[in-house]
Amino acid sequence: MSDADRPTDDSGDEFEPIEVFPEAGETDLRPGADDCYKCSTCDTECPVAEVDDEFPGPKFQGPEQWRLKRQDDHDIDESVMKCSNCMRCDSACPSDVPLSQMHNTARAEYVEENMSKLSREYWRNRMLANYRRLAPLGAMFPRTANFVTGLSATQWLGEKLFGIAGEREFPEFATETFREWWTARGGAQVENPDKRIAYFHGCYSNYNTPEVAKALVRVYEHFGYEIMVPDQDCSGTPMFANGMLEDARRAAETNVRELAAAIEDGADIVASCSSCSMSLRQEYPELFDFEDTEAVAENTWDAVEYLRVHEDLEAELEGTSVGEEFDDFAYHAPCHARNQGLDGQTVELLAAIDGVEAHDVGDSCSGISGTYGWKEENYETSMEIGAEMFDHMDEADAEAGLTECPTCSMQMEHGTGYEITHTLEVLAAALVGDGTGTNATGARAE
Amino acid sequence: MARDTEVLVLGGGSTGCGIARDLATRGLEVTLVERGTLTDGTTGRMHGLLHSGGRYAVSDQASATECIEENETLREIAGHCVEETGGLFVQRPEDSDDYFREKLEGCRDCGIPARVLSGREAREIEPYLAEDVERAIEVPDGAVDPFRLCVANAIDAEAHGARIETHAEVIDLLREGDDVYGVEVRHGAGPGKRSDAAAGTTEEITAEYVVNATGAWAGQIGAMADLEIEVRPSKGVMTIMNVRQVDTVINRCRPKGDADIIVPHETTAILGTTDEEVADPDDYPEEQWEVEAMIDTLSELVPILAESRTIRSFWGVRPLYEPPGTGTQDPTDITRDFFLLDHADRDGVAGMSSIVGGKFTTYRAMAEEIADHVCAKLGVTASCSTADEPLPGSENLARLEAGMDDFGLRSPVARRSKQRLGSRASEVLATDEPNPVICQCEGVTRAEVRDAIEGSGADLNAVRIRTRASMGNCQGGFCCQNMAHELHPEYDEATVRAALDELVAERWKGQRHALWGEQLSQAMLNYALHATTMNRDRDPASASGDVEFAAFDDGVAREARGDD
Amino acid sequence: MAIEDDVLVVGGGLAGATAALAAAERDVRVRLVSHKESTLRHASGLIDVLGYTPAGEGPLADPFPALADLPEGHPYERVGAEAVRDALAFFDEIAGEAYAGAHTDANALVPTHGGTVKPTARYPTATAAGLASDDRDALLVGFATLPDFEAPLAAAHLEAAGVPFDARGVTVRFPGIERDDAKVTRYAHLLDRDEPVETAAGESTARAALAETVRSRLEGESRVGFPAILGDDSADAVRADLADRLGVDVFEVPMGPPSLPGLRLEDLLFDALSDAGVRVTTGVPVVDYETGADGAGSSGPERIDRVTVDRNGSEIPHTADQYILATGGLVGKGVQSDRERVSEPVFDCHVPHPADRYDWFVDDVFGDQPYARFGLPVDRDLRPLDADDALEFANLRAAGAVLGGYDFAAEKSGSGVSLATGYVAGRRAAEGCR
Repeated sequence: MSDADRPTDDSGDEFEPIEVFPEAGETDLRPGADDCYKCSTCDTECPVAEVDDEFPGPKFQGPEQWRLKRQDDHDIDESVMKCSNCMRCDSACPSDVPLSQMHNTARAEYVEENMSKLSREYWRNRMLANYRRLAPLGAMFPRTANFVTGLSATQWLGEKLFGIAGEREFPEFATETFREWWTARGGAQVENPDKRIAYFHGCYSNYNTPEVAKALVRVYEHFGYEIMVPDQDCSGTPMFANGMLEDARRAAETNVRELAAAIEDGADIVASCSSCSMSLRQEYPELFDFEDTEAVAENTWDAVEYLRVHEDLEAELEGTSVGEEFDDFAYHAPCHARNQGLDGQTVELLAAIDGVEAHDVGDSCSGISGTYGWKEENYETSMEIGAEMFDHMDEADAEAGLTECPTCSMQMEHGTGYEITHTLEVLAAALVGDGTGTNATGARAE
Repeated sequence: MARDTEVLVLGGGSTGCGIARDLATRGLEVTLVERGTLTDGTTGRMHGLLHSGGRYAVSDQASATECIEENETLREIAGHCVEETGGLFVQRPEDSDDYFREKLEGCRDCGIPARVLSGREAREIEPYLAEDVERAIEVPDGAVDPFRLCVANAIDAEAHGARIETHAEVIDLLREGDDVYGVEVRHGAGPGKRSDAAAGTTEEITAEYVVNATGAWAGQIGAMADLEIEVRPSKGVMTIMNVRQVDTVINRCRPKGDADIIVPHETTAILGTTDEEVADPDDYPEEQWEVEAMIDTLSELVPILAESRTIRSFWGVRPLYEPPGTGTQDPTDITRDFFLLDHADRDGVAGMSSIVGGKFTTYRAMAEEIADHVCAKLGVTASCSTADEPLPGSENLARLEAGMDDFGLRSPVARRSKQRLGSRASEVLATDEPNPVICQCEGVTRAEVRDAIEGSGADLNAVRIRTRASMGNCQGGFCCQNMAHELHPEYDEATVRAALDELVAERWKGQRHALWGEQLSQAMLNYALHATTMNRDRDPASASGDVEFAAFDDGVAREARGDD
Repeated sequence: MAIEDDVLVVGGGLAGATAALAAAERDVRVRLVSHKESTLRHASGLIDVLGYTPAGEGPLADPFPALADLPEGHPYERVGAEAVRDALAFFDEIAGEAYAGAHTDANALVPTHGGTVKPTARYPTATAAGLASDDRDALLVGFATLPDFEAPLAAAHLEAAGVPFDARGVTVRFPGIERDDAKVTRYAHLLDRDEPVETAAGESTARAALAETVRSRLEGESRVGFPAILGDDSADAVRADLADRLGVDVFEVPMGPPSLPGLRLEDLLFDALSDAGVRVTTGVPVVDYETGADGAGSSGPERIDRVTVDRNGSEIPHTADQYILATGGLVGKGVQSDRERVSEPVFDCHVPHPADRYDWFVDDVFGDQPYARFGLPVDRDLRPLDADDALEFANLRAAGAVLGGYDFAAEKSGSGVSLATGYVAGRRAAEGCR
């Protein structure tokens, strides 16, 4: 977009950042500092600055650091690595400063310019960021992998060798991935050229919690949608958070290409993980400029939100029940869902279902923020951030947890011992019946 | 007759401070008086361009040659005031090819390194340049901080025994017959004052020789002794952008015209300028059309400017001069050369010379020539060393850059602090005390603010120009009061309050020209913070009349007494 | 499918929250949509009603008599003095123990961080022991790493204003703070959680160590003031604990942004919204609207049929019977400007302003600033008016700083106007539902 064809009197218009050196991913975000009027609201929303004064907060990391920069300054302050990429600062800022974009770009620059490629930290971060590449190995031999990752020796090794917090339990791998299940059932069982969605399942619901993905399939087929499951790579969220912008770019290229093709076929994109939808909707357009980046962003939805807008989901849920399967939940809205305006959605929808209620545990951050809480140096900070949520879960009138983000779910379980469910699983139970049965090939209620 | 000082310099701008330094380092006894703070006149109101000479390479090759020589000297002696940005003369499709060629040839004739770049190459250097920029000439333009440079000259002069007296306005020239032998000054009131002289008192300062370096005000000084000095003050606007859209000086490659230069300046970019003759250098209209012209015309070169945030605009007055009878109509055509007017030769009045015209980049050479003249008058033979001796802050800069000490600061704050303080960084920043950032926009810490207070007293505007504190996007809304806090307890509460009011008023002045979009929101936020939360607009401590405290709610005191 | 409610409030600051709460008292379904965090975090947390008349008389010991004399078009004149009282009573009920000042019509004079006193009608309980009309001597404590509050200077400033007590200030190090740029939320968190800290005397906890640091500095004062960072979630417990350890009253001095008292007020309001069953959607802007058919044909004003909320590119329709605009002023971005004009970005309501940008301000920084009065003109039902004084829409009301015709900063009337207009807009919207 050239500047000439943009009306100059539109002060709400955002600036278009310019790539200084395309290959290095180096982008000039200094003009983004124009929107900052220094109110520091972002700092009050930062869960890390509240518990760790080594982290100077998003205002410094974002508009201040960028404004103090000259083109050839590359001394990004190392504290940028303490940012957990929860992106709460984005929705805090009353003035539209592109904070998380600034952080993502600065972090990438720091990793590129200042972090030793030989360091343990670099390789640990790279490994965590590229979970998608490791997971297939675990999924191939899930029992062995679960056994090995569960060994205390492995955890000790993880901490000593890679700096992965020993207190964390590695997520279990499913014995059958979602994609294996999908292929085994013969793919889509509803055909409907007028109602078509492409499902971006992300890594976690493929390898670790296919029950979430299966719940999505049941719910969408209940509403008569034809579901496509295009090829896909990691959404990039963990890579942004670790400054691995080149890895993210490669993954994004695949995703944009595949998802754009699905859009061509008349599908909208839905995601069940709030960080995946955040990444496709916000981070891609901020950081990449593939031909179809914007088209993918504009046509991507949160899976529940999509039904809420395109179907009368609330009316459909009215009077349903989930029987004995679920009781009340302590519900945590993930930061990345909150950023998309989805914070009240789950509580509102569950209110329509009989016999189950979601108690909101407040707007604090769970503290794990993807790979952040996995690092041994962040573990304590992560748990300290999560303390507020744990307390509120404890106080809530419920013995189980509910959320839409896989890593928040791990943190909730780690902090309380509760079993954690995804909202789609509850919807599936209400709309279609038992979702955990052994008939895993997609038996539908109707 | 015994005189108070050998040489009395009038005017604390770059010329005056340069002369004071030159003479003091030659061993002369020097006093400098300035009616406001240093740089208050024209020096502090320029765009910060360190000329390569390229701008004059077609129209005035003598000036161009002098510029490139002084440009190279200042990089050596004032490294901490200079940023070697490089400059581009860019050509748009409608700009003349002939002029582009003349410019290139002119640069080469004057010894200014010049290289032609394609439009694409120019955009690689400056990505925000317009798509249709056709080509550019690259020259060694630079950016210079006039405040820091001027203050460094004054500090060095003081270190060599000079007396620098600010807030001392000349109210009369002392003339006896055909001899000028000094001035009468009135010491200023208000927080700026830091000499022992009480505010409002007057003082006669006598000298062997007087140098009138008051630039655009030289005519007013001359008139005090019935001397006619035909300065032709010409105003120009500068509009400051919130961030650096460019890191290189961008000049429009076309013959003279308004709005043809963008200078990256510290954290900002400065757009300039206009050129309009004014009658009174202290009272002239600051006009909206001038600001609009900067944004509209310069966005032809850098389109993002049209939608970017400006934080303020300011005007400067050039001290243009031309010998009587020249009769140039358009001020842009008046030479930028300087003139040394020896009133003995010219008017038959001994004891004083006036210096008029000239430009910032060549201030040192001008000062050298005047110092030579003064020395000749006084029969002193010492020679000039100002081209070789680094200014305070610029000694051993290479060692500073190699050093890794960040003084416990976040790296961008440490970098900016070191860029401002130069070789004084460690002396100023090394502290065991907490050293929080006072001005977050510019990354200025408490230690640097305190150092500036030590140098300039309770005058917060003088602290501002030394440190850049309050010169960022909030324009002091969030830090003016914190700067004032650092004055206490050395200065009492009433002095601190007055200093704060003065700084806030100064910061507001320039912002008025940027009041739309983000800066209007900023102004409202600043206003709300200062008036709503701090009630500074109706502060009972400043208001006349007493507050009847007993008429108001006294809260828990009531409960404690068991009332109610 | 549009998301349906009866009353839709756009904006989540003091005015928006009050409007939603007032509407929710009636039997209607209310949704509040807000984009970014509100300006509550910029503000001191004090509830000003009127500290000075528009002509600058004051400080007013009693704001209520002055309400009757406000010029036509002032938001208080629009809603009437009784509504101001009703709204304050409504706020008092919501705030409960968290706020004080309801026992009297008189304003309180509260010392703020610059050391100036300002008149206000309600104040957080945390500030109650700090009032300037209380004649007990006070010690102010500042922290070396928090340059926003210079306690000795603030104390000298209070004495310059003639307060009826001796004020003294000291500066100390805050135990447990490692970095000079720690955020105020860090200070609050240390105290909230009473975290272990290292002191010269060995291991301690944040509250004990702070009390220990201050104890030796007391010289018989019976109250101690700190910058407003004494806890967030557990502020009352922090203050009580410090008071207990020091044996004196403890109070907070309201600070500039980011303001913990503002943050606590926001939490209080959002808890109330949740309790009242208001549906809250945050993080998303309203970007467009459509007017309905039933206004057409008649000569009456148009009705807003639906608004569009943008969620990272997806456009979500919301529909309601009545709408309330509470998006704030120039700071909250409910009023925007460019070089040519001043505008209201959601519904493009009329914002009166001089055509010449150089008439938007006066030269004295604290003079009678026209820009401070930018905002929407409304009828006595708080419905925005166009340039011809006709209704912009039949079912839209405006509340809070988006309103024009008053200078909240000079009058010290910001919170009061937000409460009164939010309360009235919410009530009328609920009553107007079909």
